[in-house]
Amino acid sequence: MRDRSLQYVLLVPAFVIVLATTFYPLAYSLTTAFRDWDLTRSRRPEGWVGFDNFAHAFTESHFLNSLWVTTIFVVTSVALTLVIAMSLALLLRRKGRMHTFTRVVLILPFAMSPALIGVSYRFMFNPEFGVLSNGLAAIFPWLEGTAWLADPELAMAILVLTDVWHWAPYMTFMCLGGLASIPRETEEAARIDGASNIRIFFGIILPQMKGVLLVTAILKTIFALKMFDQVVTLTGGGPGTSTETLAYFIFNVGFEWYDMGYASALAWILTAIMMTISIWYVRMLLSERKMATA
Amino acid sequence: MAEVRLVDVEKRYGGFLALPKQSLTIEEGEFLVLLGPSGCGKTTTMRMIAGLEEITSGDILIGGERVNDKPPKDRDIAMVFQNYGLYPHMTVQQNIAYPLKLRGVDRKAREARVRETAEKVELGALLHRRPSELSGGQRQRVALARAIVRTPKIFLMDEPLSNLDAKLRVSMRAELKHLHHELGVTTVYVTHDQMEAMTLASRVAVMREGRIVQLDTPKKIYSEPADLFVAGFIGSPSMNLVEGHITGGRFEAPGVSIPVAAAERGDVVLGIRPEDLELTTAEAPPIRGKLYALELTGEATLVTLREGATSICARGPAEFEAEIDAACALAPRPGARIHLFDKTTGQRIAA
Ligand SMILES: Nc1ncnc2c1ncn2[C@@H]1O[C@H](COP(=O)(O)OP(=O)(O)OP(=O)(O)O)[C@@H](O)[C@H]1O
Ligand SMILES: [Mg+2]
Repeated sequence: MRDRSLQYVLLVPAFVIVLATTFYPLAYSLTTAFRDWDLTRSRRPEGWVGFDNFAHAFTESHFLNSLWVTTIFVVTSVALTLVIAMSLALLLRRKGRMHTFTRVVLILPFAMSPALIGVSYRFMFNPEFGVLSNGLAAIFPWLEGTAWLADPELAMAILVLTDVWHWAPYMTFMCLGGLASIPRETEEAARIDGASNIRIFFGIILPQMKGVLLVTAILKTIFALKMFDQVVTLTGGGPGTSTETLAYFIFNVGFEWYDMGYASALAWILTAIMMTISIWYVRMLLSERKMATA
Repeated sequence: MAEVRLVDVEKRYGGFLALPKQSLTIEEGEFLVLLGPSGCGKTTTMRMIAGLEEITSGDILIGGERVNDKPPKDRDIAMVFQNYGLYPHMTVQQNIAYPLKLRGVDRKAREARVRETAEKVELGALLHRRPSELSGGQRQRVALARAIVRTPKIFLMDEPLSNLDAKLRVSMRAELKHLHHELGVTTVYVTHDQMEAMTLASRVAVMREGRIVQLDTPKKIYSEPADLFVAGFIGSPSMNLVEGHITGGRFEAPGVSIPVAAAERGDVVLGIRPEDLELTTAEAPPIRGKLYALELTGEATLVTLREGATSICARGPAEFEAEIDAACALAPRPGARIHLFDKTTGQRIAA
């Protein structure tokens, strides 16, 4: 047997496993999205209902609410993460004594499981014994007795906070990598040419970081769209439905209401949203690349 | 236009002493060339003048004013970086215009000035390209244009022509020479090319391991090298250096016996440039040896003789021909300059 064909033969098991574990469920959920399937009634999908499941979504306030909640969550957490990551990267760029130490500390939040983050923040914002709620009340007395997670806006803010806290360090490393690849001379030339620090940042550094920032933004957007763990362990979607993101809503429809057909349709809507956004980002990235290297 | 003074300046990178404490004055309107082997501290010296590198101790004065704590933009300099430092996201036009834009030159004047400068460096047709779409030599010319688009107090140029082909290099060299004549801006210029150093410099500073070993006019550096290092470094092909001793008014070494005006002593090195030697058929020639190599350079032939460990190169006529290993003889041309150096210290021995 030739080496080449042996290579392919050896790849077959891996291929079969990947197909079986990804394409099969994917295809199954796609067909389910067009069928009626109530888990309390049947163990298999039932009759075909065409686009009913999809149509249902767009007339239901629950779904529309989750779409809105997700939008707010994604936009704020992506924007905040990027701004913080970029700022931290600028601060950490110079190699000093604290170099290794700061980097080790930075990676810690990322090493923590998102579900645990939700739980720990839930504790820290507990109105009675939470470290953060008490600490904040000690510094700002008027915050005394605030029921953080019982307020729709505050609950959302804390949800965003946990996500930014989790992701910003990792994104900082990505930005540091980007900064390191900018030739030092471009900045120095601008400094000699007479540019102020702000001008150097916006006129020289940021344009050269465009590619890295776009990739970071894509990743962060996708992760934010899928974000699920912290909703479960921190807010449970509440108060009310104020932090019920799309991913969490889909989970509820499927495993609380047992409406698998509807849940599948919703999952495909989420997928479509992610695809659209990804394609849009990748387009920008490609045109950016073209500008940089053509 | 301003005088630049480095007073007792020292530069360390951590524990590494890049430039030992020394002083240097660059006169107003002077064209100073820094010459030296790779890693001797030329770029570092420039970066300190520019304010991009902090100095460990000492003072830098520009136009009489201490600038140690002044940021680069307040020193009114323009610099060509060794590796260009072009703005990759801007077109050639925008790159060249950037220093003008930052200094508030209005659009119209800017465009005219950029066009004019681009013509000087033969980039007129490439104004709308980005740096990534240019060859190395073209990028280097953009870097040069970006520096000369403005008239600063000081030009700092770090090997600005190193990547150009021979022809373009010569024409750019003339352009720079003319520009310096026209504007009279104090210029510090780094090059490895001796021809460039000789033709452009008012004075040349030869550096070695961070130290300036000789600072003089190109003529003086060439005709009176201060030590063995400068003697060997300047000139192409480089100066012949032969170890020997002086007895009875003659320098003696295997195959070499040349009259010199110096006192009796051992351990000396005699230096003589290839162009100061000629082929001879005299009875008792000063230099004898076997022909080792013949290299035709176009207008001349380089003749290399060997005798024992001694190897001597002379510039002979282009039509000279002989068999390798044939016996050959050389003599100093009339008026030839003979240099003597102390073998231990390397210093020049005054004739
Ligand atoms: N940032 C730095 N940290 C530590 N050492 C440095 C740094 N920059 C330069 N050096 C050292 O200082 C010395 C002088 O470097 P410099 O770049 O000035 O040399 P150069 O004369 O410009 O050489 P070349 O002709 O190769 O450009 C070198 O030995 C170099 O290794
Ligand atoms: Mg250098």
